[in-house]
Amino acid sequence: MISLNTVLFISSLMFFIGVAGVLIRRNLLIILMSVELMLNAANLNLIAFARYSGTVEGQAFALLVMGFAAAEVAIGLALAVALYRRKDTVQADDINLLNG
Amino acid sequence: MNDATLTHLIPTSLGVSYLWLIPFLPLFGFLLNGLTGRHLRNNSWVNGIALGSVGASFLLSLYYFFQLLQLPEASRSLHQSLWTWFDVGAAQIAGQRLTFATVEWAYKFDVLSAAMALLVTGAGFLIHLFSTGYMEEEQKDFRYYRFMAYLNLFVFSMLNLVLGSNILMMFLGWEGVGLCSYLLIGFYFDKTYAGDAAKKAFVTNRIGDFGFMLGFFLIFMVFGSLDYDTLMGSARSVMALPSITLFGHTASPTFWMNLIGSCLFIGAMGKSAQIPLYVWLPDAMAGPTPVSALIHAATMVTSGLYMITRLNFIFVNAPAALHFILFIGALTALLAASMGLAQYDIKKVLAYSTVSQLGFMFMGMGAGAFTAGMFHVFTHAFFKACLFLGSGSVIMACHHEQDMRNMGGLRKYMPWTFWSMLLSTFAIAGIFPFSGFFSKDEILWKVFEGWYQGGTYQGSTLYLSTWLMGMIAAFFTAFYMMRLICMTFLGNYRGGGEDPYHLTVQGHSHGHDAHGSGTHVPHEVPWNMWVPVFLLALLAVGGGFLNVPHALHVLGHAHFSEWLSPILYQVAAVHEGVEAVSTMEYGLMIWATVIWAPGAMALAYWFYAADPSWSRAQRFVKQYPNLFEWVHARYYIDEFYEALLITPAKRLAGQLWSFDTWVVDGVVNGAARATLLFARISYWFDTYIVDGLVNFVAWLLQQFALLFKALQSGRVQNYAFVMLLGFVLLLFFKFLG
Repeated sequence: MISLNTVLFISSLMFFIGVAGVLIRRNLLIILMSVELMLNAANLNLIAFARYSGTVEGQAFALLVMGFAAAEVAIGLALAVALYRRKDTVQADDINLLNG
Repeated sequence: MNDATLTHLIPTSLGVSYLWLIPFLPLFGFLLNGLTGRHLRNNSWVNGIALGSVGASFLLSLYYFFQLLQLPEASRSLHQSLWTWFDVGAAQIAGQRLTFATVEWAYKFDVLSAAMALLVTGAGFLIHLFSTGYMEEEQKDFRYYRFMAYLNLFVFSMLNLVLGSNILMMFLGWEGVGLCSYLLIGFYFDKTYAGDAAKKAFVTNRIGDFGFMLGFFLIFMVFGSLDYDTLMGSARSVMALPSITLFGHTASPTFWMNLIGSCLFIGAMGKSAQIPLYVWLPDAMAGPTPVSALIHAATMVTSGLYMITRLNFIFVNAPAALHFILFIGALTALLAASMGLAQYDIKKVLAYSTVSQLGFMFMGMGAGAFTAGMFHVFTHAFFKACLFLGSGSVIMACHHEQDMRNMGGLRKYMPWTFWSMLLSTFAIAGIFPFSGFFSKDEILWKVFEGWYQGGTYQGSTLYLSTWLMGMIAAFFTAFYMMRLICMTFLGNYRGGGEDPYHLTVQGHSHGHDAHGSGTHVPHEVPWNMWVPVFLLALLAVGGGFLNVPHALHVLGHAHFSEWLSPILYQVAAVHEGVEAVSTMEYGLMIWATVIWAPGAMALAYWFYAADPSWSRAQRFVKQYPNLFEWVHARYYIDEFYEALLITPAKRLAGQLWSFDTWVVDGVVNGAARATLLFARISYWFDTYIVDGLVNFVAWLLQQFALLFKALQSGRVQNYAFVMLLGFVLLLFFKFLG
């Protein structure tokens, strides 16, 4: 049986990979993917704690997060497409209208 | 205005409603020619307008003259008021009185005005006619219309002077003729001497005008009016006042009359060229010769005489002023006549002659014989206009030669001009029965009478001494006129290179457009030039019979004196009670016309015609070189004025200029410079301190903004990274703090 610590370690590893992806990569699609990675790290945590404490609320919440993630990806991709149509790019560095 | 009241007096007449046209017709002529003359292709239009307006004016004057003749003697005066020129309102005059005077733009056609208007328009017309021939060369360029327009303007001004019904109207004309004189003397304004002469005439006249103005200001202060009729009517009551107080000075009316008369005479000195203000008239010969004839001989220069006659009610009551006039007149007559003896320029001789004859007229005025003086105005106008126009013809015939030494023998070439001028010479010399005899002899007799007093010899010796001066001047007159005739018309023509005695001179020509002095033959002038000369000569011959003195009543009547009698106030004190004809008068007449004047003429003939080499004259000059030099140089009076008045005036002007430049302008420029400096400081302060502070604040803000601007990269990932850092920081404080 895999210990809770192992799972927590993997999930935090996944989360930080996601954080790094969001902060470092410049492609919007990859950023979105990294966000998904972070959400899934959270989901892994939720499920691990639910198993560890023997309750189902965690699993239910994980399902809810997956739903949200799906919605978020839909909106995010739509924005990315709209942006691409308008600006001919999906590089985050080029989207700097708020530059002071 | 007075139409209704006068129409019943003058049946079958135009009334007075066209009186204003007499002066205004020449004005219209002036406006038409002056404004459109440049564009009129044909000079005959210019001639038609100029001559037509003056001619019509003459005919109208003649018409009104005959209207006057039909009136009873006492009411021979037509009056037309056009409009109120200006309203003085209430003015305080002498004796704390108030006057409510208005000055009317009104014309008065009475005996004196009528005579003067006929003279001005009649002689004016003849001289206009002469000008059409004399100004032939000017017809080729665009100067001619200007000349004719000025002449018309002059006639308008002169008619305003003689027809005006108050002193201000006279003054308007007085200044107007001065202006026209200036314009016409300076007609060839591209020549320096003409411009200088014009300025000299104008400035000298202004000095006189100042006296004239003081005179009529005083008249207004004493009488409270400037209208002739009102003045004449109130003269007696003013003279009856015990005393008059003006400007804090109380004196008898006679004192004020003397003062007024003297001031007015100073005005007459300027306009009528009397010592000491005569100097402009000889120089005025720089103008075209018709101008000299019209303005500087026949009409304008006699306006001083007109003024004195018109205001005789003042002069009769001013014995001291009359003495002043008598003395100045005699002095002028003598000095100017002597200057005429030694001139070579034909026009200069006539100019000094004019000054001298004006002196004679003033002698008449000064002796209280106003009608005698006025009559000499008329006869002089005839013979002097004739002589001037004749000299114009001579100058033209000799191709703009004015020096008499280069003439001679013209009798053969221009008989009409010769005979006209000879007759006029007899007239001016006072040979019986030519007109000058009647007028000049009358004046001299009236002066003599002031001392003679009907055989008692009790008059002032002033009359005797001025009479002697006048007699000598008359001798000089006869001499220089005969000299002019001899040098110009007798002998042989010297201008064509034939000059056995070397009398001609070169380079003395003062005329415009002088031709080369090649051999040429003089020629008689065209009809439009000799006809006016000849007509004037006829007038000069016969004019005397208009006023035959009482002593010669078998020959005629003193029409002129009787005609003028309605405007005379009273007989001057000098002549009170002296009416009887005496053998002395006959004696002096015979002496003057048989011995005195013919003697002078014979002397001149002996000097200049009987001896074609002029050796007698030259011997005389050699014997008295200084005398000739002084007379020829006109006693250096011009130089004296130059040294005494003009140079100091110029120096004063120079000093004032320096003061103006250095002090006044210095203060102004200094103020400007100080303002400029202050402005520069203010500008600097504004730029560097005020703007500096504002800009510094802005700059500071900008630097801060630049600093913080770096934070706003606009990149989502940077923000996210900061959020992460914040989160990490929060965690750090939460768990480790």
